[in-house]
Amino acid sequence: MVILDSESNVPLYLQLRTQIIESIVRGELAKGDTLPSVRALAGDLGINMHTVNKSYHELESKGIIKIVPKKGAVIIADAKKHALKQQYENLVEDLRPVVAEGLVYGLSEADFQQLISSIISKIKEESS
Amino acid sequence: MDMEFIILFLTILFVSVLQIFIPFIAKRAVVFGVSIPYEQVKHPQVIRYKKSYAIITGIFTLAVLAGLVLLIQEFNFNETNLALVGITFPFIILLVGMSLYFYFHSKMTKLKRTEKWFGTVKQVYYADLKIRSKDEMLASFVYLIPIIISLGLIVLTANLYEQLPSRIPTHWGATGQADAFSDKSWMVVLSMPLILVLMQLMFYGVNVFTKRSGIKINAGNIKSSELRQLNLRKYTSWFLFIVDILITLLFAVLQLNILYENIINDLLMMLAPICLLVIVLGGSVWLAVKVGSVDSDLEGTEIVGDTNSNFVQGMDEDQYWKGGLFYFNRNDPSVFVEKRFGIGFTMNFANPIGYLILGVPIILIIIIPYLL
Repeated sequence: MVILDSESNVPLYLQLRTQIIESIVRGELAKGDTLPSVRALAGDLGINMHTVNKSYHELESKGIIKIVPKKGAVIIADAKKHALKQQYENLVEDLRPVVAEGLVYGLSEADFQQLISSIISKIKEESS
Repeated sequence: MDMEFIILFLTILFVSVLQIFIPFIAKRAVVFGVSIPYEQVKHPQVIRYKKSYAIITGIFTLAVLAGLVLLIQEFNFNETNLALVGITFPFIILLVGMSLYFYFHSKMTKLKRTEKWFGTVKQVYYADLKIRSKDEMLASFVYLIPIIISLGLIVLTANLYEQLPSRIPTHWGATGQADAFSDKSWMVVLSMPLILVLMQLMFYGVNVFTKRSGIKINAGNIKSSELRQLNLRKYTSWFLFIVDILITLLFAVLQLNILYENIINDLLMMLAPICLLVIVLGGSVWLAVKVGSVDSDLEGTEIVGDTNSNFVQGMDEDQYWKGGLFYFNRNDPSVFVEKRFGIGFTMNFANPIGYLILGVPIILIIIIPYLL
């Protein structure tokens, strides 16, 4: 299930990317499943194919899906395995400015831990 | 009264009655081609507009049918006159239907604007990543099977060409007897199987590209709108396939009658087109019931409350629907999308593939008789 907010400041392709990742986390999509074709998903959503394409390429560059000729976008992410070194480093890079921002607002380490666990449980319970 | 008049009368009656029901079998979140939030579906003004439309259309239909019966009793109709009536009457009904539609369309547009219905709801794009596993449209290759029959007819015709008489029947009257002939030529004897192949290819193309088109679900009422889309896709592809087979059989009968001079008896020649018409009309009702009873006024279930979240709606796509009837959206790669007023599909006029699939065969079918 994918819901994109048309009025959000977050670009549609980033929203779509995040929603697909969350679907995998919730187990709605599993390793080996195929995502709809770019054309089909763009048609279902009624948005431009470039937008969907951009999301798929992001997911591919993160090593979450693999675009296999004739088969489509196959999910290769496996939550049971440890993150690759590269994936871990990317996470650190993405999180650093967010953590810094939190610190500047006066959040403590405990606040951060609580924040992260609440986000995790939110992602997991948002199933249809 | 003769057969042709009865057929004409029943067809007009049928089409008009369906027309009366359109607002009640159309998607309830789209009223006269104007999208509204689910919360407003039962707004008294909306209901009043729908009822007025139905009453006016109903009275008009009665008047037209009465006029038709009077005309036929006053004057003795020959075939040309009847053909004229057969063209003008449906045309008048269509014209009046369209005018009424546009009248209520502009009323709805104004109502929506003054009440600012979309001001308080959040509009979202919605898709189900696994929806395609629930899609039950027929596999497109089954549409290629009837083409084998056309190819068979072409081969058979080529083999028998030398033995055919010098005059070939090209038109059959209502009694099933040939009433127009042409001099024998390859174009004359092959025109019917060629037209048939073009139609079959068009049906195939329609199914292929409908299948690839988006499955549109409204986030304001996921369950119902999903079921309606899946029903629409499944049953139209079945309907299309049945029509495909019937047309193939009809053309095969006519072609065999040319090849083996009157091998088919007159009764069958007369009944075949009538059967086709009856099945097509019956099929439309079946389709209208199967699709139109879900996510429409006929569904009846309470809408507010069975929605997935508070005040979330599908996108207001009115800007892409010219006059509420013609879909023109460059962003959407879909070729065929659900009609807003009526049951079935319409094309995305911003997508050139649609013109190709429908336009090319239709133009060729129109041109072929002039090549004779």
